[in-house]
Amino acid sequence: MTAEKPEENQAAKTPSDQPDETARREFIAKAVSVFAGGAIVSVPIGVGVATLLGPAFKEGQGGIKIRLAALEDLPGDGSPKLYQVVAERKDAWTKYPQKPIGSVFLQKLEDGGVIAFNSSCPHAGCSVGFKSKEVGYYCPCHESIFLLDGSRGDPCVSPRGLDSLEVDKEKLLNGDVWVTFQNFAAGIEGKKAI
Amino acid sequence: MKRLLDWIDDRTGIASLTREALFERVPGGARWRYVWGSTLSFAIMVQFITGIFLWMAYSPSATTAWESVYYIQNEMSYGWLLRGIHHWTAQIMVILLLLHLVQVVIDSAYRAPREFNFWFGVILLFITLAISLTGYLLPWDQKGFWATKVATNLAGIVPFIGDDIQKVIIGGSDYGHHTLTRFFALHAGVLPGALVALIVVHIYLFRRHGITEAKPATRAGALYYWSLLGVVFGTLTALAFAFEENTKQWVPKIVCGVFLAILIRIGFLIRSGKDDDSATRPKRDGMFWPDQILKDAIACAAVMGAVLFFVFWKGTELTPPADPSQPYNAARPDWYFMSLFQMLKFSAFEGAFGLLIGAIFVPSILVTAIFIMPLMGQSKKGHWINVVMLYSLIGGFVILTAMGFNHDANDEEYKQGVLNAHAEAERLNELIDINGGIPPEGALTLLYKDPKIRGARLYAANCASCHPYGGEDGLGAKAKDPSAPDLKGVGSKKWIAGLLDHNRYVSEEYFGKTKFSKGKMARHLKDIDMLPEDIEVVSAALASEAKVYGYSLPEGGQDFIDSGFDLMFEDFECADCHGIQGEDEGSGPSLTGYMSRDWMIDFIGDPTHEKFYGKKNDRMPSFLGAKQEDGTMKAGELSRKEVELIVGWLREEWPRASE
Repeated sequence: MTAEKPEENQAAKTPSDQPDETARREFIAKAVSVFAGGAIVSVPIGVGVATLLGPAFKEGQGGIKIRLAALEDLPGDGSPKLYQVVAERKDAWTKYPQKPIGSVFLQKLEDGGVIAFNSSCPHAGCSVGFKSKEVGYYCPCHESIFLLDGSRGDPCVSPRGLDSLEVDKEKLLNGDVWVTFQNFAAGIEGKKAI
Repeated sequence: MKRLLDWIDDRTGIASLTREALFERVPGGARWRYVWGSTLSFAIMVQFITGIFLWMAYSPSATTAWESVYYIQNEMSYGWLLRGIHHWTAQIMVILLLLHLVQVVIDSAYRAPREFNFWFGVILLFITLAISLTGYLLPWDQKGFWATKVATNLAGIVPFIGDDIQKVIIGGSDYGHHTLTRFFALHAGVLPGALVALIVVHIYLFRRHGITEAKPATRAGALYYWSLLGVVFGTLTALAFAFEENTKQWVPKIVCGVFLAILIRIGFLIRSGKDDDSATRPKRDGMFWPDQILKDAIACAAVMGAVLFFVFWKGTELTPPADPSQPYNAARPDWYFMSLFQMLKFSAFEGAFGLLIGAIFVPSILVTAIFIMPLMGQSKKGHWINVVMLYSLIGGFVILTAMGFNHDANDEEYKQGVLNAHAEAERLNELIDINGGIPPEGALTLLYKDPKIRGARLYAANCASCHPYGGEDGLGAKAKDPSAPDLKGVGSKKWIAGLLDHNRYVSEEYFGKTKFSKGKMARHLKDIDMLPEDIEVVSAALASEAKVYGYSLPEGGQDFIDSGFDLMFEDFECADCHGIQGEDEGSGPSLTGYMSRDWMIDFIGDPTHEKFYGKKNDRMPSFLGAKQEDGTMKAGELSRKEVELIVGWLREEWPRASE
């Protein structure tokens, strides 16, 4: 019952009477084996990769319009104030009714208008802080400075200035600051919503 | 290029390794019967691949496990296919394992020098079963939860240390987050790791000893094996018939089918005529590559085809999320544990000691019997004992499994449990769609807030003992001994019209089994003897108060409704006893806002309130509590939320996808 059968082993090595036919058969056998083997292994791998790559083809959840403050609450001297953005958000299967999704600097302008900046640094996504009216905004990760109007200061390794967000002018007239919150791709010159 | 390959080979030895792997001698040539080990390896590989991808999306905790599996199944691109392949390959893998084991025993491949490899194989079998068992829980659905609860409770009866074992397995005394993290670590880490390590040893030993060459196929030999299998199966079938009390219900179709198939095979063998003991297949040896690999690849393709067939045909079930408070009548282990499950129903295993015997000792003895097979099988007689034992084991496995499934097929409670689970799962999917996602507290909260599901459950538990719902209990089971009005369609024009028909009022459909069947209203209905057209208009008026789901103005519009109220006030003197449209509250139940949402909540809350039956109430409990004669409040059995859910369900007011 063991595998040791030398005489049969010899038989396996005996050349066939029809070498061409044997070679052809062997080639077909090899080809079919490789093809069938590859095909069946590619099923689980292919399906798995398809699930893995799924997110790449999904759209982001887009901007969200949200009331952040009353106009009168903003500092009158034009220095920025940071507001947390809490909104309904879906995280895979979970729908959070109130989920912190980012933060926004609001600045009252002299003409009564308001400008808003996403606090995420356009360089690599660190959280930008406000230093002083003289220095402006400062990102502690790669030591970039942004001026009060959001433009690049010196030094600044970021490819673009802070990302401004749309402020609803009509609602502003009623004293409410509504902002369309949106995140943008970091590390590129253009402002690309994600 | 060649130089690069040579360099890689020189440093790694990969070419010689590949050569060694591929150019294995296959004694007697490539054969179909050698494919089982390879198909099994292939199935395990598929499980590893799909398992790792599932891992990337699965989240093991009591509030996210079901939810993440739901997400895989319903929202991830091709997630249903990924999970389907993983699930169905697991099923087929168990069959392949059994085939592999049977073949090893029949071909006496456990004999010296292969004893250790047999033992490793048996351990691999149990590791695979353990992986299946742990995987069954991971979706954290009703099916997996209850089955695992049974399995882990059985682990708890092991003498002396059972309690501790159980607590260690489930990560505490309750099932929850740590049960899942532990099962997941076992399922995806510990057990697969052990599996790989043992497979490496298994294949190394297999290569060391070579393929066990099957004896040259002879008709006499085959006849011998098949006849033996037939005798064992025949005996077991006969035993099953003899010991099964309810033979009418008990038709072990699968067993009879297997037995018949064996007989047919024997018949063919006998018919095949002259003794063809001169071997029919070439004695020339073959090579693993490509001869055997071709056959292996085709067999693996067939396995994959079968898996995909089941994925597309049957889909992959996900029952509602685990809920320890919600009994699940369809709790069953996966089919390969069904035989053990069924065995525990026998009266021989009754009581704590019986359970210990049935759940621990008997399986342990069977496992020991399998383990000592190589020692037994050194002699020819021992080998035959092994073969008979294995056939008996498999026969017992098949028969018990068939008995289990047969029992379920005839068990109304089980069938209803499955139907309800499917309906609830479907409803939950709808609720998630409506909600736009799952709340952070988990999907179960959606079911708990849903009048359609929870209302029906509460009705079945609290109302159905008196009030049937379309003759049922609200969950599909037949109502037992109803004694109060059937509330299906309550508040609808049709239901109210039935109430106004004297004959129906005093029938069991409405108040036939209450004291109201001989009450004032019954007598009054008989006296006034309303014409069908009167009933039509009065019921339309009352239905306009109720406005249950689907209500719309009658053809005659508001005038038609007003004429109904006129009839009630004037011709039929309803206002003598009932308050109508806010006027003249009387001794009978108020008809102001009759069967509206608030009316129903108040009524169920306290029918003894003077607005309703007052002291004339017949047995109906005050579910939200009632003021007693001494002025104190008696607490009710339900909360306001629960009563609202029941009312929402009765009025069919639940969220719908189109709204």
